[in-house]
Amino acid sequence: MKVSFPYMGTTIVYKKLLELLGHEVVMPPKPSQYTINLGVKYSPEFACFPLKVITGSYIEAAELGAEVIVTSGGHGPCRAGFYEQVHRRILEEKGFNVDFIVFNSMFRDFKQFFANMMMLKGTNSWFKIAQSLLMVYDMIKKLDILEKRVQELRAYELKKGETTKAWEQIQIGFDKASSKKDLQQAFNNGEVLLNQIKTFNIYDKDRIRIGIVGEIYVVMESSINMKMEELLGNLGAEVERSQYLSEWVAYNALPGFMNRTHEVEILKKGEPYIPINIGGHAKQTVGHIVDYSQRGFDGVIHLMPFGCLPELVSQSIVPKISQALDIPVLTLSIDEQSGTANSLTRVEAFMDLIKGKRMKKIS
Amino acid sequence: MKEFYIGIDVGSVSTNIVLIDNNCDVHYSAYTRTNGQPLDSVKKGLKELQRALPADAYINGVGSTGSGRQLIGTMVGADVVKNEITAHATATAHIVPDVKTIFEIGGQDSKIIVIDNQMVVDFAMNTVCAAGTGSFLDHQAERLGIPIEEFGAMALMAERDVRIAGRCTVFAESDMIAKQQFGFSKSEIIKGLCEALVRNYINNLGRGKKLDPPYVFQGGVAANIGIKTAFEKEIGHEVIVPKNFNIMGALGSAILAKEYILETSSSTKFRGFETADLDFQPSAFECGGCSNKCEVIKVEMDSKVVAMWGDRCGKWTNSL
Repeated sequence: MKVSFPYMGTTIVYKKLLELLGHEVVMPPKPSQYTINLGVKYSPEFACFPLKVITGSYIEAAELGAEVIVTSGGHGPCRAGFYEQVHRRILEEKGFNVDFIVFNSMFRDFKQFFANMMMLKGTNSWFKIAQSLLMVYDMIKKLDILEKRVQELRAYELKKGETTKAWEQIQIGFDKASSKKDLQQAFNNGEVLLNQIKTFNIYDKDRIRIGIVGEIYVVMESSINMKMEELLGNLGAEVERSQYLSEWVAYNALPGFMNRTHEVEILKKGEPYIPINIGGHAKQTVGHIVDYSQRGFDGVIHLMPFGCLPELVSQSIVPKISQALDIPVLTLSIDEQSGTANSLTRVEAFMDLIKGKRMKKIS
Repeated sequence: MKEFYIGIDVGSVSTNIVLIDNNCDVHYSAYTRTNGQPLDSVKKGLKELQRALPADAYINGVGSTGSGRQLIGTMVGADVVKNEITAHATATAHIVPDVKTIFEIGGQDSKIIVIDNQMVVDFAMNTVCAAGTGSFLDHQAERLGIPIEEFGAMALMAERDVRIAGRCTVFAESDMIAKQQFGFSKSEIIKGLCEALVRNYINNLGRGKKLDPPYVFQGGVAANIGIKTAFEKEIGHEVIVPKNFNIMGALGSAILAKEYILETSSSTKFRGFETADLDFQPSAFECGGCSNKCEVIKVEMDSKVVAMWGDRCGKWTNSL
């Protein structure tokens, strides 16, 4: 069967997993203005922005012949929980015959999780499944290590755009890997590529580090968040995201009692501000702001899709945290209407604010 | 020879040019309407400035700001191209050193800037809505048949209070019409409108922020005494309107240019007043490289491409 998935972040990872299991993968195109236009046209007006973009993505994938879409569900009172139902109807109305396999946390509904696994498993042996999962997890971890270096290097590159190009090359390299040995080779090649990038020297005390927090889709998918990481990098800031795939996988794959991942710690840090689970990534958002301030970051960019309920809650708590911990936070709401020029002005002014804070003057 | 710095603020409604000396004293300033022609208004402004320039003057640096900062910065050869938030804050901190809160209302945007110890610590800018900016007042003044210059003073003549819905420009307008039909006078309606605008502004931008005095009110709308009075009523404190309230952005960018030149001891990239005579042509085309179909802006000077931007991937921007 021809399988596809929502486009988010380093998509070669999902592609690799499905390929290893012997499925024919339909790679959805990277979200573009065309994708957004499609999504906005066929989605409910008041749905959140990620739903609209993903609608567009699915339609593009369906046009390319996708028969099954593998996606994750939401948890808590967040609209991500009904994405699949809405998308299913939209695709049906458009006349596409597409099936969905939705993975929710296996600790909530193991039966469904198992049934989903069986569908994807096909004729593969359990050994093969375990092997593939481990290999892909290894790949995600390696990619995340390289990406974190990319996010750091970009601020200091001499030739603008060089690091981003290298990062694209690295992903192509990983995409071709099909064994453990290949992966290591791709990783080594990636390191070489990054080492070749010429940078200017900077004193440790002059480094500016900015964290990006918020809803996972707008944080991870650069094509719809104005390439926030590149933008900040070009303005001279090192960037770290609140979400990395490897951390997400580790957190979601382990049962509560033995879960010692980074994310558990983050959630604890956010607890004084949002004690209960309100869905989406609101708790992570506030937790990460606390974490970044403790780690001495200079500022935080908070991205939220327009109309995202959990992030609206965190947005209203942000000023309090920002004041209590003395860390500047800029909230940007993102949707199809967002004027880039306007947001750019804000990000530039935010960078001036951070630099000014360092130098004790305005800019 | 005397050294001067030029600051240019190209906004949606007005184009402002200032000339300052090494002590940041303003020697010349001009506030003109952009009328949708940023290039022409800057060219005209530069020519007027040249005429007013002392014979022994030397331009040591240029800064540009405002929504047209990139285009104009390329045209004149600006040393510093800065966003308007930083530019405004710089100017205000220079004129009112202990300022804590800046209210800035321009033609199509409005901002609150919170300053502590001469540093910007927080800011907010209006997002998707232009209710509560100069253009809206302009439009309403026209509808009521009152020149915008007299608009504010009329608000002070009101005898009664009337509450106008201020959330949205369109609804504010229908509410105004209704209130006119109820028999409220023009000046009362204007007062109600000023208060609605301020209420909307504080609710939208001041949300969750601690706004402390001294308050400084600037931008084109600060000329409107009605709005100033409404601000003072809303926050219950005196609001300072600086002398150069309508050219603060330009002043700030001139100061930033001066600081940049002196700190880096570099020489200016200013193309000279002759730029006003150069053929300078911006154009836009749709890039067909991918499905993003970015609108790329290309700027040509004497049919040589000098700048490009607007592409998401950097294909054109980095091609120069």
